[in-house]
Amino acid sequence: MAGRQDRLTGHNPVDLRNRLRFFLWVISIALSILMVRMWYLQVIRGDVFRQRSENNRICLREVKPLRGRIYDIRGNILVDNQASFDVSIIPEDAEDVDSVVGRIKGLYAQKLLEFSGGDVVRGKVRRPFVPIKLERNISREKLSIVETNSLDLPGVVVDVMPVRKYIFGDIMAHILGYVGEISSDKLESDTSGGYKSGDMVGKQGIEKYLDRYIKGQRGGEQVEVNVAGRELRVMEKVDPVPGCNVVLTIDSYLQNIAWDALEGKAGSVIVINPRDGSVMAMVNRPAFNPNLFNRGISQNNWRKLLNNPLHPMRNRAISGQYIPASTYKLIVAAAALEEGLITPEASFFCDGSYKLGNRTFRCWKKGGHGEISLHRAIAESCDVYFYNIGKMVGVAKLAKYSLGFGLGAKTGINLPGEKSGLVPTKRWKLNRFKEPWQLGETTCLAIGQGFILATPLQLLNAYCALANGGTLYVPRIVKRLETADGRILEEFNSEIISHIPVSEKNIEILKRALWGAVNEVNGTGRALKRKEEDVCGKTGTAQVVGLPQGDNVRKEKIPYKLRDHALFVCFAPYKNSEIAVAVVVEHGGHGGSAAAPIARKIIDSYFNNIKMRSEK
Amino acid sequence: MKFDRRLLFGFDWVLLSLVLLISSIGILNLYSSGYSLADLDGASLYVKQVYWVLIGLVFMVICFCIDYRFICRYAYVIYAFSILLLLLVFFYGNTVNGSKRWLAVCGISFQASEFVKLTVILALAKYFDNNKIDGGYNLKELLLPFLTVLVPFILIWKQPDLGTALILIILFLSMAVFAGVRRYSIISTAICGVVLLPLCWNFLTEYQKERILIWINPERDPLGAGYHVIQSKIAIGSGGIFGKGFLEGTQTQLKFLPEQQTDFVFSVFAEEWGFLGCVVLVVMFLALILWGLSISRHSRDLLGALIAFGITILVFWEIFVNIGMVLGIFPVVGLPLPFLSYGGSSMIILMAGIGLLMNVSMRRFILQP
Repeated sequence: MAGRQDRLTGHNPVDLRNRLRFFLWVISIALSILMVRMWYLQVIRGDVFRQRSENNRICLREVKPLRGRIYDIRGNILVDNQASFDVSIIPEDAEDVDSVVGRIKGLYAQKLLEFSGGDVVRGKVRRPFVPIKLERNISREKLSIVETNSLDLPGVVVDVMPVRKYIFGDIMAHILGYVGEISSDKLESDTSGGYKSGDMVGKQGIEKYLDRYIKGQRGGEQVEVNVAGRELRVMEKVDPVPGCNVVLTIDSYLQNIAWDALEGKAGSVIVINPRDGSVMAMVNRPAFNPNLFNRGISQNNWRKLLNNPLHPMRNRAISGQYIPASTYKLIVAAAALEEGLITPEASFFCDGSYKLGNRTFRCWKKGGHGEISLHRAIAESCDVYFYNIGKMVGVAKLAKYSLGFGLGAKTGINLPGEKSGLVPTKRWKLNRFKEPWQLGETTCLAIGQGFILATPLQLLNAYCALANGGTLYVPRIVKRLETADGRILEEFNSEIISHIPVSEKNIEILKRALWGAVNEVNGTGRALKRKEEDVCGKTGTAQVVGLPQGDNVRKEKIPYKLRDHALFVCFAPYKNSEIAVAVVVEHGGHGGSAAAPIARKIIDSYFNNIKMRSEK
Repeated sequence: MKFDRRLLFGFDWVLLSLVLLISSIGILNLYSSGYSLADLDGASLYVKQVYWVLIGLVFMVICFCIDYRFICRYAYVIYAFSILLLLLVFFYGNTVNGSKRWLAVCGISFQASEFVKLTVILALAKYFDNNKIDGGYNLKELLLPFLTVLVPFILIWKQPDLGTALILIILFLSMAVFAGVRRYSIISTAICGVVLLPLCWNFLTEYQKERILIWINPERDPLGAGYHVIQSKIAIGSGGIFGKGFLEGTQTQLKFLPEQQTDFVFSVFAEEWGFLGCVVLVVMFLALILWGLSISRHSRDLLGALIAFGITILVFWEIFVNIGMVLGIFPVVGLPLPFLSYGGSSMIILMAGIGLLMNVSMRRFILQP
């Protein structure tokens, strides 16, 4: 032993051994503590714990929170929660699953009901205590059968699941969206940790946009169950926190009117209050029934929705990108006025066509408008006038003013899936097509045709800015968030994007021209003329394909897909406008004949019914 | 290297037997814990663990074949490599259960933090061996070895893996004390520690704070971490003196126990084998630790003594903290129980560590060339 000590060179081996002894003590004491603790748990309190483990089986159960309700501005419920019932079986408690299922079928048969669940699939290995779903979303009748016979049906449990009830069905589909089981992508990308697999989350519309507020916080229960798997009591409980309620700016009455007005068409109607940008109605047709998604949509229904050529799932109002056509002339006129290129009085001669190089561009009016200045050019939507001033303004300035009116950028409405449209520029064309910009394309752009694209919401918002004297608001559809007990959580105030780059004087000139389009003899929007209020508006007819111009092909003879889109944008009254409406009818034909009458219905019921009711 | 027959003579059969015995208990226990588990992979977890033990044995052989003095020549390089791995985890690691611990290479994922435990021991051993000081180190001289531990500590803390991070600190303190620290340094560190401890609270995440509050009062979160502790206590307590018997643990078999194959594996054992089984297991652990300390004591040089001590004390602290946590003495920090918890990385690293112990042990009779 002495020899080895010397080998620990440089260190005093005695020290090292003393320290080892110290650690020996530490280790002994530590392990003794563990032993004492084991003795305490296993020997002294062993019986207590043994009883708890044998008699009580405590398990954890998740309690899902209720999603928040959604209301319209008048306090009408748009989305509520209702109960849906599932029947499950716990194999361990049932002992013989097949015979229990057989008994259920027998009980159903007595009442002439059919068992809708499939066969109970049991894999090679299974968890005896994990319930197997037998039937989903059962009727009240079946529920009462299962409940009253529960003593004969060991292991059978009924789960209550809250599901969404969309009271307005299709009418509000695109605004509200729908809920569905969380996707694995979303689950993986989620960093907040608030989601679990199997959770129902908002997939579209407000349900998606405000999901983190609406969903609430899950709670849980520590449940004591007996040997048969029945619950004895809830030992500990953490209550779920229901989600926030949402109040929208939508007026469900107006929404209904707009829905009916668009009957039988494919398209979109938006109604906005130009004073603050709040959306009063937003209707898209065709639509879908969000209630179908509640307990998982059937394959069949899903395929139907996806394969429908009219795309019922699309929220056209914010994600449909259309050629603005003549509605865009307003912006062209604004640009020309602001840049000082024209005066309101300056006139051009329209003989029905306009020559650029060896190309001829036509006016929609065959014989032409004759000598025409700004006011009439807008009111009667003269194309030749705009070909002329479009050339003067040029593509760069047109792009500048388009952006100034909010085109080419998302408006920022509180809904998911908004598209930004397209404002073409020379550089964009070069990047996109590797070809330089042609002058003829400026000519097309001057009447809102060609590359330019805008969503109905963007168009309407641009007109709203004109209506309110120049302020471009963020369209908002959410008014406020409230906690489940009604405390206001967040008020969504109107937000300003910018001011349109147009002087007050020119705004008046343009508004006057829009007034003329509705109220003057040759105006294109005469369908909107009302005695009581002055409506201002602009029609648009967007070419889907370049059909031979001037030939009077009967609309019915053109295949549906090739017909023009009909557009109409308007606001009223002339002074202190309080309502603005945009209508897009896909393949509807002329703006004045297809879209304007729809806007008329909405303006009429707003002033005749809604406004009067509100004022009472 | 010429083969020295004394190596064979010195081979540590006792250590090997102890390790194999405890590992076998671990596998048997895993078999029971996965016995009725429905998951397909759950049932075969014990089979996987057998593979891990076998792979671990290969690493063990590698680790005792090469003279530890030769290994320690590269101790700092190995240490740097392990830190690099940790950094990779930090930036590219896979997230499991909310913490980023895993590094996947060629489809095999492993926990770099396990590897770091060994490399830190080697690096510290080399440092203390190179810088021998009579009468013990003072705080200034301990700064560099402390930094050696601090870097991986922060990286692991950030994963977050509180258990492993704290073990590193305890490991450092133990090795420093073993290497010798001046008395006044120990006292001043202890005072600082007591004063600064409350400040550490601020560095904990909400989750970690919650764990500590739950430890004080398990009823605080009866559905979350508190549930683990409550169920674990029920499982252990209900084992009584003699246990419920192999494959008979109701808490285990009914899956009331969370993490019962990893961090809470001891409660499975305690439920089925009772107090007597636990005593036997603890005695076996104690035998292993004592044997390790005796290897350290009889090592031919300081380097060997430090390595042997480091590995032994690491195993001890892991055992103590894990069982203490499962028994509800400590907050739930998440640390595997050596040789019993399921886990490839930890098993392989443990075996490699045991290999190093054997390395020191079998070369104790060979004089320095």
